[in-house]
Amino acid sequence: MTTFAPPAPSRLSRWQPGKRLSRWFLTRLQQRRGVTHLPRQLAYRDIYILPTPFGYAFAVLLIFTALGGLNFNNNLALLLVFTVGTLAQMTTFLAYRNLTGLTVTTLFAEPVFAGQTARFQLRLHNEEARYRYSVQSAKANHSDGDCKDIPPDDSACLKLPQSASERGWLSAPALRIETRYPLGLFRAWTWLFPSARCLVYARPTANPPPLPLMGHGASGPSRRGEGDQLHGLRTYQAGDPLKRIAWRSSARHDALLTREMEAPQERACVLDFDQLTGMELEQRLSLLTAWVLLADQQQLSYSLHLPTLQIGPASDTPHRLACLKALALYDA
Amino acid sequence: MSHWRQHPLPWLIATVALASLPQLMTMPAPLVLLTLSPMLWRGLAALRHWRPLPSLVRIALTFAGLAMLVLSYGNLLGRRAAVGLLTVMLAMKLLECFRARDARIVASLTLFLCSTQFLFSQGLPMVFYGIGVSCGALLSLALIERHDSWGRSGQTPPSGLGLRRELGFGSRLLLLAVPMALAVFLLFPRWGTPLWGLPEQSLDARSGLSTSMTPGSIQGLFMDDSPAFRARFEGSLPSREELYWRGPVMWNFDGRSWSFGGWMRGLERQTLPNADAAPYRYEVQMEPNERHWLFALDYPGLIPDKTRLTEDFQLLRQRRHAITSLFRYDMVSDPGFQDSPELSIVLRNAALQLPEQFNPRTRELVERWRAETPNDAALVRRVLAHFNQQPFRYTLNPPLLSRHSVDEFLFDTQAGFCEHYASTFTVMMRMAGIPARVVTGYQGGWYNELGNYLLVRQSDAHAWAEIWLPGVGWTRIDPTAAVAPSRVEDGPLDALNQRRHAFDFPWMRQIRNGFDILDRTWNQWVIGFDAARQSNLLGIIGIEKLQSRDLALLLAVVLLLGSVAVVPWLKRLGKRRERDALLRQWRRFIGRLADAGVPVSAALGPLEVGAAAASHLPTQAQAARQLAQEYLAQRYGDEAGDREALIQGLKKFRARTEKHGS
Repeated sequence: MTTFAPPAPSRLSRWQPGKRLSRWFLTRLQQRRGVTHLPRQLAYRDIYILPTPFGYAFAVLLIFTALGGLNFNNNLALLLVFTVGTLAQMTTFLAYRNLTGLTVTTLFAEPVFAGQTARFQLRLHNEEARYRYSVQSAKANHSDGDCKDIPPDDSACLKLPQSASERGWLSAPALRIETRYPLGLFRAWTWLFPSARCLVYARPTANPPPLPLMGHGASGPSRRGEGDQLHGLRTYQAGDPLKRIAWRSSARHDALLTREMEAPQERACVLDFDQLTGMELEQRLSLLTAWVLLADQQQLSYSLHLPTLQIGPASDTPHRLACLKALALYDA
Repeated sequence: MSHWRQHPLPWLIATVALASLPQLMTMPAPLVLLTLSPMLWRGLAALRHWRPLPSLVRIALTFAGLAMLVLSYGNLLGRRAAVGLLTVMLAMKLLECFRARDARIVASLTLFLCSTQFLFSQGLPMVFYGIGVSCGALLSLALIERHDSWGRSGQTPPSGLGLRRELGFGSRLLLLAVPMALAVFLLFPRWGTPLWGLPEQSLDARSGLSTSMTPGSIQGLFMDDSPAFRARFEGSLPSREELYWRGPVMWNFDGRSWSFGGWMRGLERQTLPNADAAPYRYEVQMEPNERHWLFALDYPGLIPDKTRLTEDFQLLRQRRHAITSLFRYDMVSDPGFQDSPELSIVLRNAALQLPEQFNPRTRELVERWRAETPNDAALVRRVLAHFNQQPFRYTLNPPLLSRHSVDEFLFDTQAGFCEHYASTFTVMMRMAGIPARVVTGYQGGWYNELGNYLLVRQSDAHAWAEIWLPGVGWTRIDPTAAVAPSRVEDGPLDALNQRRHAFDFPWMRQIRNGFDILDRTWNQWVIGFDAARQSNLLGIIGIEKLQSRDLALLLAVVLLLGSVAVVPWLKRLGKRRERDALLRQWRRFIGRLADAGVPVSAALGPLEVGAAAASHLPTQAQAARQLAQEYLAQRYGDEAGDREALIQGLKKFRARTEKHGS
């Protein structure tokens, strides 16, 4: 069975006179409210509620039915309208209740490269004993967003994609947490102006030139025990991983033998900003970023030299992250 | 993928099917097929992942549907036709129901379709129909909403708490909504007179006696067990022989059928029975039949509003005032009234008119009898004796009659229904030169002792004759009574020794008659509730002569008070009450602090709560901190303190907020 197709972009939705107005309103609101500090529990003054377009249409339908019922003094029709109308009115409260008391715990995003999409993750916690259905989050002025149920005493993570085009810090956009529960007649929502930000690394150059290798690294003889080249066999010691045991040789020697591995001999390189002459700043940073990734992939020991700081040499993950961050935030 | 029960589409299709059910039962078979097939198609399309039909096909189908509707109903002005159009188009809309928007439109329109069905019937079964459709529509809307919310980010919603718990939740919600809805129902300002009426051509004249009588027309009604009207008598109840409810009076005969003379409409009755002296006073509650006749016992002494009384005592509603909804009127009747001791020449000629060259054998017989009998009364007795002594039968399935229908009936078939007897008798009287006319209406009724009212069903329809005798005036003669006296004494169903259909048993009829009191009560209190009843009801509690504006104000006040009562209920709905009294009070304490603007939440420890309260409420710092410390000691400490005192302390604590210079 298929779910309903998403709404088609109609000519109507492209024509948005209210967009500028709502942007203006949002700016005013942000000025007044300031940054939303997390964690924050949604209270009744945070929550707005208005009918959806369908809600208005439904009201018109009910009013017409009621007019007909009044004119012909058709009491069953009136009873129908009044009961459905009262229920519809009560859904305002249900929608409000679906949000109130919810705690916005964290908003956080993993670093991405420029040109990728930053994925902010909004964590909502429900500390009450009732289920909260279909809680949605969306960027302010965007209609659609991620949707989750939040069971009692549980939390849920809502994703908010935001395209990251420039390196540096990407601030989380103004957010909306909203719900149209239960009937879609009313939309209850709250605004969030979080201070969270996402680190955006420089865009790595595609197909970069080869790394500027500088002979052997200073790390000395190869390290035993790890790596993927076979060094030799030795007798088994307690604690050796099972997959390292050379079963065939062990059978021949009547004793357990363990394969000893070694990493290939490390090479080293220096990624120097100043040597990349004749290039624009962003191009240099992009190339350096690409090289950092390449060197890391080849498990080289590398160091990054920027006019303001030097990092390395090293070849581990924290080093790579430090290099990428330095490049992302490099300020000429 | 969620279970089908969590998907809106099956529910939506089922709701559309349920909503169109009453209409389907009145539609011709091709239209029923046309209505059902889109539902089937949409269901299969969902199962088999079919694509939507091309728009050209859908447009073609729509026009085909329109053409079939026009062919079946003649035009689209009648109410049945208009509702048929709505039904067919709603079903067709399912064909393009692939977006949440369309699904919502369909779900809301099922409610509208449901309310249009109430135009045709507001009986008790319709209540269940209405409840079913509204539940289906609301459930569909809820599921559509859920799928739409999740679908926008490309997800399928997981199943929620399960249908049972959600239905439980929904029914509790309904329980809250119904009292509010009733308050609105009772207090909503009503219109004394409608803003717009129904055009005459949109009436369908569903049931009841018509303006003409052909052999078989009353027999059709005889199969119909729906109530025609109910009468509650003040004082004495007439005897069964007097229960002749007068309806359309037929003057014109064309050899085959009798018809109501349209000219009679303009002839108003001049002399009426004295209403104050009339022995029978009663109130009639008439079911809507979209026709113009009111029924009364001979001879009516009152003329209700917007009604005229014709020369031959027909109570006719004015144009544009056909009985389209439950109609109540008071009536008095005087059976002893002498109707027209003098007959004008025009009326006399009208009551003697007969087509030439019909029924020669009867004419011959009547002329022979006329010569043999000394006067009119003797002739009448002669004719009735003939009916009584010859082997005439009272039957539901009379043989078909052709051109000389009276001849054939009188000499050959000798089997018929009341209309045959009334028609034949009247023709014979006219042949003998006695002014005569056919009266149609109802005879008898079922007396409900519990409700103290007389129930008259469509199956009680009857036809009899009236002849005019000099000095006496118009006199009622019921030739059927001469053939089958039990027709008048026991009613038509018992006079026949045959069942009308497979489920027609006397005991079933008894039960149904007994339950009619429910229908009547429903009519009285729900369907018949109007501006007048509303003001009566408010008068009982001492509020009189309210304008619409005051009523609206009263309604607003009641709703406001209702909300005050309902909101705490709603707040508690679905929440689990904390069993531990101390923890409950602690949470409320934190809630009150948070309401007063202290930045606390249940996630904070007692000391943090105390500190936050102390810094934000300087005047109550000591008290708040003490409560927090006491709570900490009792919950996590070794020694048990005075638990009750702490509970009371937490309960009584109220944050006093004051504006400190900001």
